[in-house]
Amino acid sequence: MTENPISYFFSCIFVTVAHLAMLANIWVNGKYDSPSDVLLLGGAVILLDFVWYIAMLFFKQKTFALSFLLILILNMSVIFQSCFGGVELDKKHYITCIAALIASRLGYHLCRDHKRLASHKLWIYAGIGVLTVAILTLTGSRSIWISLGPITIQPSEFIKPLFALACATTVGEQMKKHKLLMFNVVWDNLIVLGIFFAICFLQWWCRDLGSLPTFAGIYAAGFLLRICYPRAKFSKKTLIAAAAAVIAAAAVALKFAPAYVQDRLHSDIWSDVNGNGWQQSRALIGIAKGSWMGRGPGMGDLHSVFAHENDIVFATVSEEWGLLYALMMILVILIILAVPLINPPRSYFHATMVSCICAAITVQTALNIFGSCNLIPFTGVTIPFISTGGSSMMTSGFMVGMLMASQNPDLRPPKAERKRPVPIRSEMQ
Amino acid sequence: MEKYNMLLCAIAAAALDICAFVLIMTAYAEKRTSRKNWAKMTGGMVLAVNETLYPLSCDEVIIGRHASADVRLPDPSVSRYHAILTFSGNAWTITDMDSKSGVYVNGMLVKHAVLRNGDVLSVGSSRLIFRRGEEHD
Repeated sequence: MTENPISYFFSCIFVTVAHLAMLANIWVNGKYDSPSDVLLLGGAVILLDFVWYIAMLFFKQKTFALSFLLILILNMSVIFQSCFGGVELDKKHYITCIAALIASRLGYHLCRDHKRLASHKLWIYAGIGVLTVAILTLTGSRSIWISLGPITIQPSEFIKPLFALACATTVGEQMKKHKLLMFNVVWDNLIVLGIFFAICFLQWWCRDLGSLPTFAGIYAAGFLLRICYPRAKFSKKTLIAAAAAVIAAAAVALKFAPAYVQDRLHSDIWSDVNGNGWQQSRALIGIAKGSWMGRGPGMGDLHSVFAHENDIVFATVSEEWGLLYALMMILVILIILAVPLINPPRSYFHATMVSCICAAITVQTALNIFGSCNLIPFTGVTIPFISTGGSSMMTSGFMVGMLMASQNPDLRPPKAERKRPVPIRSEMQ
Repeated sequence: MEKYNMLLCAIAAAALDICAFVLIMTAYAEKRTSRKNWAKMTGGMVLAVNETLYPLSCDEVIIGRHASADVRLPDPSVSRYHAILTFSGNAWTITDMDSKSGVYVNGMLVKHAVLRNGDVLSVGSSRLIFRRGEEHD
């Protein structure tokens, strides 16, 4: 049972009220064929809310704010996705949201005990290796998708939380320095750098360079936490060399980027509205048509544009629900990321893990929104929790589970050691 | 009719806003709970340096002269990163981080030692007392 029953009660009430207010808006302003469509959608949303509230009572967790935020954003996402082009429950998205909730429990249980994770870091490296090989061998001709009958999987999505874990499990190894030529190096740092280069190669190979900034964000957060880690003792020379290497790599990458990337970098969407600028120009027109309060759920035109439910979902939501509501949707995502700031993690491992996860979600959200608004070239990445896609939703759920784990760390000794008496003194000098 | 629709949109947005605010308040309420649970799990220990108390609120606490140390001792005889306190296996331990002047626990030079309530740590010329916080006395 929760330790804050009043907070739990009010959170249940207000999350349900927020969903009911959205459903009331659909009932009055929405475009639907039959009222039963709205009732079915409302029933599904409220049922999922209450099942999750009851399930939360059985989770042996001390903090619940993230669980409430997760159900709030996931059911908002179900409502948005079910309204595009006319109100009808999007069953596929509903199922992926349930999968995201289950994935969050998995992430929570796997990441609570950082000492156990650190001792199993080879499994994390192996997981990244297996996914890499799967992408290289099973995706077909340089693609990011693996088709398994009726469903398709994007394995590169699952690499994101594993890479964040690889960054976090190695942060505590900074004192284990070894001499390599004339440099003192930490093997684990080199392994993480190697993994990052392998991911860069993989993203280039499967022509998914849009996701590269997300991985770069995870690595940058992991690197920054290494600098802040007191035992790392990075020299100023090392840091200056690292900064110079990053600038040089970015310049080379821009110069030698593939042709399709160069096209996007230099194209003017308004001079090519039927070609490269099609999605972005439609998205901007949709946002303008929606104005602050939106045209009404199901009444937008963007549902006829390719990838309206994932790549330009911010514009689709803005058109139907209004820019105000779309911005508040982003605010909810930002609050999810802010919870670890309110209740900070208790270990460097969890702090690094949380920073990497926050960097990944922030970069991904920013790429999608800024891409939709033509502030940066179009990247085609999803907004976590909102865009459709099973792999993306499950990964987002898993990452929120990792944030929950940082709020409820497990510091108990391993079962075998629990009954052993604590030594009084050890290792005098 | 349009005004009525606008009103509903505004109500939906306001409901979401209030919900977000309530969840932030929930997170703040849980911060207190987490702090209590942490203190319960780790014994609510503090390091007392003269009049100042440093609660051990993280599973790794660095003692040193550097600005980034958790327990900062502006004393030239203390190394920049002098010693680290870690919580593991239901006990706090202190480990010397290759400091110049060493770490003494109750007057004995140690490299690594498990700490008990009331232990006196000497780091450079500073004395620190490892003891239970007042809330847990």
